[in-house]
Amino acid sequence: MFNQFGATAETLSKASTLVFRIGTDAHLYDDPDDVSIAPLLDSRFDSEKCEALKRLLALIAQGFEVSSFFPQVVKNVASQSLEVKKLVYLYLLHYAQKRPNEALLSINYFQKDLGDPNPLVRAWALRTMAGIRLHVIAPLVLVAAGKCARDPSVYVRKCAANALPKLHDLRLEDNTVGIEEIIGILLNDSSPCVVGAAAAAFSSVCPNNLSLIGRNYKRLCEVLPDVEEWGKIVLIGILLRYVVARHGLVKESIMFSLHGTENSRSEKDCSDTNSALDDNGNSNDLYESELTNAVSHCYIEGPAEYLSRLSFMNKDSSEFNYASLTSGKNNDDVKILLQCTLPLLWSNNSAVVLAAAGVHWIMAPVEDLKRIVKPLLFVLRYSNASKYVVLCNIQVLAKAITSLFSPYFEDFFICASDSYQIKALKLDILAYIGYIRDPDRRFATDTVARIGICAQRLPEMSNPCLEFLLALTRQQLTTGEFGSVDAEADILIQAIMSIKSIIQQDPPSHEKVPAARAMVVWMVGEYNSLGDLIPRMLATVLKYLAGCFASEEVETKLQICNTAVKVLLGAKGNDLLTIKMVLIYVLELAKCDLNYDVRDRAHFLKKLLSTYLDSQCLEEETNHPGQHKDSSRLLAENLFGKQNKSVSHEPIDHRFYLPGSLSQIVLHAAPGYEPLPKPCSLRCDDPEMDENGDPYVTDDEDSASESLDEEIASSYSSQHSNVDSSGTDGSEEAGSASEDDDNSHQLIQFSDERKNGASQSASDFGELLSNRALESWLDDQPGFSKPNTSEHSQVRTSSARISIGDIGGQVRPKSYPLLDPVNGNGLRVDYSFSSEISSISPLFICIEVSFKNCSKETMSDITLVDEESGKGKDSVEQSSFSDESSTIPQSNEPNLVSVEEITSLDPGQTMTRSIQVRFHHHLLPLKLAIYCNGKRHPIKLRPDIGYFVKALPMDVEVFTNKESQLRGMFECVRRCTFTDHIKELDKDKGDNSLVEDKFLVICRSLALKMLSNANLHLVSVDLPVAAKLDDATGLCLRFSSKILSTSAPCLITITVEGRCSEPLEMSVKVNCEETVFGLNLLNRIVNFSVEPSHPHV
Amino acid sequence: MLQCIFLLSDSGEVMLEKQLTGQRVDRSICTWFWEHTVSQGDSPKLQSVIASPTHYLFQVLREGITFLACTQVEMPPLMGIEFLCRVADVLTDYLGSLNEDLIKDNFVIVYELLDEMIDNGFPLTTEPNILREMIAPPNIANKMLSVVTGNSSNVSDILPGATSSCIPWRTTNLKYANNEVYVDLVEEMDAIINRDGVLVKCEIYGEVQVNSHLSGVPDLTLSFANPAVLDDVRFHPCVRFRPWEAHQILSFVPPDGQFKLMSYRVRKLKSSPIYVKPQLTSDAGTCRVSVLVGIRNDPGKTIDSITVQFQLPSCVLSADLNSNYGTVNILANKTCSWTIGKIPKDKAPAMSGTLLLETGLERLHVFPTFQVGFRIMGVALSGLKIDKLDLKNLPKPPYKGFRALTRAGEFEVRS
Repeated sequence: MFNQFGATAETLSKASTLVFRIGTDAHLYDDPDDVSIAPLLDSRFDSEKCEALKRLLALIAQGFEVSSFFPQVVKNVASQSLEVKKLVYLYLLHYAQKRPNEALLSINYFQKDLGDPNPLVRAWALRTMAGIRLHVIAPLVLVAAGKCARDPSVYVRKCAANALPKLHDLRLEDNTVGIEEIIGILLNDSSPCVVGAAAAAFSSVCPNNLSLIGRNYKRLCEVLPDVEEWGKIVLIGILLRYVVARHGLVKESIMFSLHGTENSRSEKDCSDTNSALDDNGNSNDLYESELTNAVSHCYIEGPAEYLSRLSFMNKDSSEFNYASLTSGKNNDDVKILLQCTLPLLWSNNSAVVLAAAGVHWIMAPVEDLKRIVKPLLFVLRYSNASKYVVLCNIQVLAKAITSLFSPYFEDFFICASDSYQIKALKLDILAYIGYIRDPDRRFATDTVARIGICAQRLPEMSNPCLEFLLALTRQQLTTGEFGSVDAEADILIQAIMSIKSIIQQDPPSHEKVPAARAMVVWMVGEYNSLGDLIPRMLATVLKYLAGCFASEEVETKLQICNTAVKVLLGAKGNDLLTIKMVLIYVLELAKCDLNYDVRDRAHFLKKLLSTYLDSQCLEEETNHPGQHKDSSRLLAENLFGKQNKSVSHEPIDHRFYLPGSLSQIVLHAAPGYEPLPKPCSLRCDDPEMDENGDPYVTDDEDSASESLDEEIASSYSSQHSNVDSSGTDGSEEAGSASEDDDNSHQLIQFSDERKNGASQSASDFGELLSNRALESWLDDQPGFSKPNTSEHSQVRTSSARISIGDIGGQVRPKSYPLLDPVNGNGLRVDYSFSSEISSISPLFICIEVSFKNCSKETMSDITLVDEESGKGKDSVEQSSFSDESSTIPQSNEPNLVSVEEITSLDPGQTMTRSIQVRFHHHLLPLKLAIYCNGKRHPIKLRPDIGYFVKALPMDVEVFTNKESQLRGMFECVRRCTFTDHIKELDKDKGDNSLVEDKFLVICRSLALKMLSNANLHLVSVDLPVAAKLDDATGLCLRFSSKILSTSAPCLITITVEGRCSEPLEMSVKVNCEETVFGLNLLNRIVNFSVEPSHPHV
Repeated sequence: MLQCIFLLSDSGEVMLEKQLTGQRVDRSICTWFWEHTVSQGDSPKLQSVIASPTHYLFQVLREGITFLACTQVEMPPLMGIEFLCRVADVLTDYLGSLNEDLIKDNFVIVYELLDEMIDNGFPLTTEPNILREMIAPPNIANKMLSVVTGNSSNVSDILPGATSSCIPWRTTNLKYANNEVYVDLVEEMDAIINRDGVLVKCEIYGEVQVNSHLSGVPDLTLSFANPAVLDDVRFHPCVRFRPWEAHQILSFVPPDGQFKLMSYRVRKLKSSPIYVKPQLTSDAGTCRVSVLVGIRNDPGKTIDSITVQFQLPSCVLSADLNSNYGTVNILANKTCSWTIGKIPKDKAPAMSGTLLLETGLERLHVFPTFQVGFRIMGVALSGLKIDKLDLKNLPKPPYKGFRALTRAGEFEVRS
């Protein structure tokens, strides 16, 4: 009947799920390969591609290998549909490492996507490109990450931060400097989200480069509450490490509490601290502080190191350097860290709470530690999943300072719903806080009793209870001398009773715990004289033990023998005889035991005690020669006597790892675990440790003009650890030759690195693309910027601004032929763009047209006519430019304005007319016609994008300000070579010109080149001063302009690398809001820079 | 950082794998994990951090689904665990609930979500508000659309504005015709009553749950009449720390919809609303059980949904239990559950009966713990009272609603 009903229910539920599953991807998961996937991937429809990709994803989810589809999937990366893109990325990331060659095919699309106006597309492209993890494209990814790190979108910048660890994973040495530099930029980001991601990148890329943190320390602390929860966790750890490395430990904190006491003690009695440790006997405080000592050492050195050192060294030889301490009350950095982490204890993410608590645990003064208690306890209730981890951590804290948690013992009460591990941990904690150290011994007794009761109530708990009680008693017994205190004895008895009750409760199951029984027996023997209860029980207990001797385990048997002897030695009065009889009985039994050890023990004891036993038997104790008896008795007493006098502390072999770490949970150092840095290991000679040295965002490096800027120099140099010394020195003594040497060496190294990277990748790349293709790809990708900050920063450390004087006179705009004399019946028309600005409309561009009569006859009626605008607008509108921003709006206005007719032109005569022309597009030529002598000559007037802008005078500050607003996708960079200056230099060779002149020549020729080809304003020329005499690296020219039609500013920066007398490597950067225009302008600049200039007159 | 995330069904089948870093994790680790789990007994409460021979595993179990994450390097374990919890939360939110079929049916969405939530082993976007805008949840309309048109994209084309805002939890440009905000105090009472009927531990774990439907970017201030009773607090990220530190005032810009504004704890309560008195006496192979339930302190509102549950010890062969009110059920796993509902006016509910012990066992030596459930509408037993709720930045005053509820949490009676 039930079966039937069950079946109906099943079909019902099936039917209902069927309804639910309509419209989901259920069928794709169930039968991913029931249709052929390959043709779907090649489909024209996005929906079919999607389906195919989903099927592949389903196969991946189910663990099938589908990398054979890789080439087909990669093709779809070009899809415009974001869903297809996302699915392709998911697939790519899964298989890219398996199919590196095919994966490379997708790179171009990523590059394209990186320039996409949609930030989501840019972010995905970067994530995927970095996630593919191919060594050959690492340089590209670095460049892309550098660019995205300046993206206007927060999300993209965050993804840039996440891309860095991926790059770092490839372990390419060349990239490390670049990666760390980008991390520096991102740590300084204005958005807390980005800072969090940057912190994560920092901790996985360069966790020890703490100087990077120092620069932003205060700001990072302040931004901490606003950082995303995940970032918080990491950032807290980083800040803690920084403070320890920078300022050392806090005097008032737990890390130092012990050293304070030890120190005063050793000062007082001028004795070895070890002896102080040894003779303490019953001081619980000292045990506790010793534990604390172990904790703090473990945190700093790592447990393995600490413990191994302990084994062969004296403890006190490892004292911290007292100079490495700081006071939490006076040190601002410590104070601010504690302040900023305090509210995080209210976070609803348990990981944040634990991380914040960890900082307080290590840094806060001991008296303030109670702040972390309640939040930690709250996590226990608040987050079930985190319970175990938090309890593990509380366990350590409670062991080190028991008083911390003892008022809250209720929280560790065991619930029936807790899992075994949780119960065990709770008990351990309860044991520590409640039992061992609580000053109120009555409460302690209660606690022990409660543990026993716990165990009785919760059968599954009795085992752990037992273990804990045993461990506790053993520890208690060995650590202190307590026979004197009645209360202690009570506790012990209570413990023994508890143990007994547990064992009796369920004998069969505890039979399996011989250790436990042995322990109980041992305790009975050891503490036979304690209290009132035990001595009275002894005889009975022994009888009981003797009765079940045969059925005991070996371990227990041995203990029974020992116990019997001990009891005998301590026994007095009536019991003596009974006990002796029992012992003899036991020894007889033991002699017949199957186990050698037990038999040996029995023989040994028998021999040892023979005289004693005999004498007792005869009850003629006094008659026998005392000497002999005494010696054997003495021996026996020494062997079995109160050993606890000589027993020192149980060695502390606990391993402690930093709170909140994985290692603390698994109790071994997980790979990558690092203890705290050595206190005060971070040198702080960097004068710009504070946050005002903020080179990236504020862009104030240019504000100081004319000479070196020491501040910036030093803050920059600290960024690359390897550049450190030379950079700082260089800025200090710029003039000296040796320093110059250093500095240039660094710079060259930099460019070398880049080349290495490129060539290396090229060789790997050979299978797929030719070397040439790669180079052009690397260099000519227009929407793509090199992380130029490296060079810039280097350059600016040592540059001086010069003025090249008046070169305006030498600027001669280039002229282009409009009409050939051959075609024009002897009329030659040239045109050149003028720097004048049209007075009619910003859409018009002024052009100087020169008409020359090359024929022998006079020409007449020469006019320049725009025929098309006369014809009508259709022709105009046919221009189908999709890009709105670059298309100049059409109107009814004529394209050509004011051409004065030249009535006659004599042979050889040249006349110039100024015309104003409106181009439809900055790349498309305008069709015009020249009428001469009544004859029509069609001509094409080609635009020059260099004159679609006009000079926008500004000073350097404004320039850098504007530039900083036009980062990210508004910035494009290309590289080219520049050779113009060589001719000039050759020309000057004869003269004995000064070396500086070389730079001037270069500057002049560069500036001339630019100004002759575009309508720009020269903003500044920065010369590398500290560079070698022949090295032009670092020369930097800035030009400004604005687009005529939209007045959007367009900034151009040219940076030069290379030697003066050789062709120069030049990187041209354009920052412009109109990205398409900016790109075209950049291309134009590169083109004209490369072509040789006309010889100057 | 996390290297891989697996989703396992309740039978140990790997439903999904998502590799996160360059070091791939083979799915054989799941086999190891499952065997380890099975070997630990059927207790689902396995520890959350496990060191396997090759990887460190973090696991979170929700509704039978195991979320398993692997790493090989040091990282804060709670970060892994909290992240898995967040994944589980988000998936529950997206799929309505959580089970094997739902995950398989929506595996594409799960993949897309995972991809967005974690990048290279470090959490990327975990804010539910942003995720919902990036990846559309599978609602009925979407499903129908996809059936009819054959294609529908659940991937958004635009980046949600909240990614760059300083209040990422709030969607930009919200508009409601009727602005309303509801504040609920939901409290759970944890108590342990020992064998002698003494209340050993009694405390309240409470949450302030807010459901807000407000236009624009409102600024809310919630204050309590007696914040001093609060022992410790936890806040949603939207709560500003300063006002709380200074005046114990909650000042915040709320997320949209239902969220947990704050959780708190009130310790050391002196009494519980109801009493449960179990009595077990064993004799000659049988054990007589009697359980009495009644009201100890009348909270002023009706107490309903009262249940008493306990696990029969394994040595019990059979049980014969009856009650004078409510129903008693003994489930297959030897859980006995007594559903009472409301306590009647005329009589005190009692359950009694006998347990037959294993042969050879004279007396019962393991004693069950009784778990008690109840619910009281309209009362916050901690005594916490909301003073007022002020709203700024709203065109017209919204509707404000307040409620309170107390139910049993870990309410245990030992016998």
